[in-house]
Amino acid sequence: MSSTFLPCGKYHEKYSQDHSWWQTTFIKGKMIALFAVVLILIPNVANDYWLSIFNILGYTILGALGVQLLIGYCGQLTLGHGAFIAIGAYISSTLLVAFPWPQSFHDMGIAYPISIVIACIASGFWSVLFGLPSARVKGFYLILTTMAAHFITYKFILEQCAVSFTEKGNNFSIPYNHTKLGPWLVDSISDVYYLMIIFVVISTVILANLIRSRVGRAWIAIRDNDISAEVMGINIVKYKLLAFFVAGFIAGLAGVLVVINAHMFNIEYFEWFLSLWLVGIILIGGVGSIHGVIFGSIFMVIVMELLQTGVDYLSYDIPELLQQYQWHYLAAKLTNLSTAFNYIRESVFGLLICVFLIFEPHGMAYRWQQIKNYFNLWPFSY
Amino acid sequence: MVVSKKTELKEGDVLLKLEDVHMFFGKVCALSGVNLEIRKGEIHSVIGPNGAGKTVMMNIINGLYRPQRGEVFYKGEKINHLKPYKRSELGISRTFQKVEVFGGLSVLDNIRLGRHIHYRSGIFSGSCYLGKTKKEEIEHRKFIEEEIIDLLEIEHIRHKPTGMLPYGLQKRVELGRALAMEPELLILDEPLAGLNLEEVEDMARFILDINEEERWKVTCLLVEHDMGVVMDLSDRVLVLNFGNTITDDTPEAVQKNQDVVNAYLGEEDLYSTRR
Repeated sequence: MSSTFLPCGKYHEKYSQDHSWWQTTFIKGKMIALFAVVLILIPNVANDYWLSIFNILGYTILGALGVQLLIGYCGQLTLGHGAFIAIGAYISSTLLVAFPWPQSFHDMGIAYPISIVIACIASGFWSVLFGLPSARVKGFYLILTTMAAHFITYKFILEQCAVSFTEKGNNFSIPYNHTKLGPWLVDSISDVYYLMIIFVVISTVILANLIRSRVGRAWIAIRDNDISAEVMGINIVKYKLLAFFVAGFIAGLAGVLVVINAHMFNIEYFEWFLSLWLVGIILIGGVGSIHGVIFGSIFMVIVMELLQTGVDYLSYDIPELLQQYQWHYLAAKLTNLSTAFNYIRESVFGLLICVFLIFEPHGMAYRWQQIKNYFNLWPFSY
Repeated sequence: MVVSKKTELKEGDVLLKLEDVHMFFGKVCALSGVNLEIRKGEIHSVIGPNGAGKTVMMNIINGLYRPQRGEVFYKGEKINHLKPYKRSELGISRTFQKVEVFGGLSVLDNIRLGRHIHYRSGIFSGSCYLGKTKKEEIEHRKFIEEEIIDLLEIEHIRHKPTGMLPYGLQKRVELGRALAMEPELLILDEPLAGLNLEEVEDMARFILDINEEERWKVTCLLVEHDMGVVMDLSDRVLVLNFGNTITDDTPEAVQKNQDVVNAYLGEEDLYSTRR
């Protein structure tokens, strides 16, 4: 018996086969098909609007991966992950535009990769800094310390101090010719798409590999039972901080993508709602599963886009129709809807979380597992 | 000061020594002046009524509690200041009274976790999962499958999530996890509590195996309420009552000791066995 479902009559003969990622030809085919769709089909078929949606999806996945690592794998409740994304975004963009790079650095495309790496490491350490209380406090109390991280970063550093750090302040655009990775000038939306795919694949692979090796097992042990984890020889504080570092690092990557997707840095994106949003995504997708991150992100981003389209339709097209029939009162009411979109978005988000917690508490990843099992065992139910 | 794991002891040498250990919780005295010497290769039991301080003693040996007074020596060196994870590197492993397995992990991963201190890969090699980590995972898998899972007869559940298993099997997984560390001193905190007769017999067999087999030769410190098993397995028995040592002697002598009979065993032949 193996940990994945093998076709009837097939057995692994070596441990290395049991440890490998894609164990059957079917899974291999499925994954290659997925890569083909993501790398070839989507960039060729989708228009710029959809590509930008995919880019939003990309950094949502990256942000949620970090939250998943902290909450789902290491058991460190966090409600301040937006802060680390903000730090990644701020440092990468400020370094790029305000640091006195020699012109040759920009021409050769060194400045941008260096600022990405520095931004990721900085947001990793920023995350470790606010992870330090986790050595002493657990659960509910840790939520408060991580929320403090968000308010310190957003309200104090980005809103107040950033203006005095550089002349660019906290709201600036990034010149298109600066975002150069080596010879590759990342300026069009499809370039950002490829960059996003690279970041997402690398982070997912890193996280998935960590989870099945020594470090990840230590994280899960801390989540499940920290006392016996310590007795088993795990240095709890070290591994908690390591989790904060990796989560912060991935958040930094997400921040880099946020900036480059819009080619500007704007602090309004990093409101505290972002942190809550990421936690909601892993609740809906499934806590403690990488599939959950991806399902949850896709679901939330698509639902929100559909909602936006629906509200736009209701507030522009329908009122025009109503005007023709002289129903001015109703038309005016509907037009107001678009200004209230933020409230609609937040209430739908809250409603979705309630619905998922009641009807699908294990999240979408669990349902996915059930569906897979059903087809694996088909036509016998067990 | 780091205690080296290399120190080889002969059978019969003192492996772990508690000297005049006092432990207070507020004004409650959990242990007052307990002395204990565990010799290499023996099964040393600790018995006593509920609240006698047995588990506190285990936690002190393990490093979860720090005694207010007294010293803990391991292989002749003082280990009072060491944290639990450092002590596990020295070769002290334990199981818990209430099973404390990692419910979300599979049985195999639980046992792999027990070998945490023997794995070497860190965050970079782990994230690539090539070369070193891959080789190491296979090596340890081989050890776990051939030594631990085979010994404890849990082949059929190795991929199941541990939290879903029945209690008896969880206890066995916990023993496997403690054993995977390849400890020199294994603390068993009530390994038989809540098990049925068949499971008790299996567990007693495993304890004897790991104590006597040439492959393992693990010194055991056993806390247990099942007098039949304690008297049959142990080389020595320490009796505690309200934090005080009543006696520390061979099982035969303990059974005859009038103080022990008064405090714990009772007049009847209760200690013979639960059967």
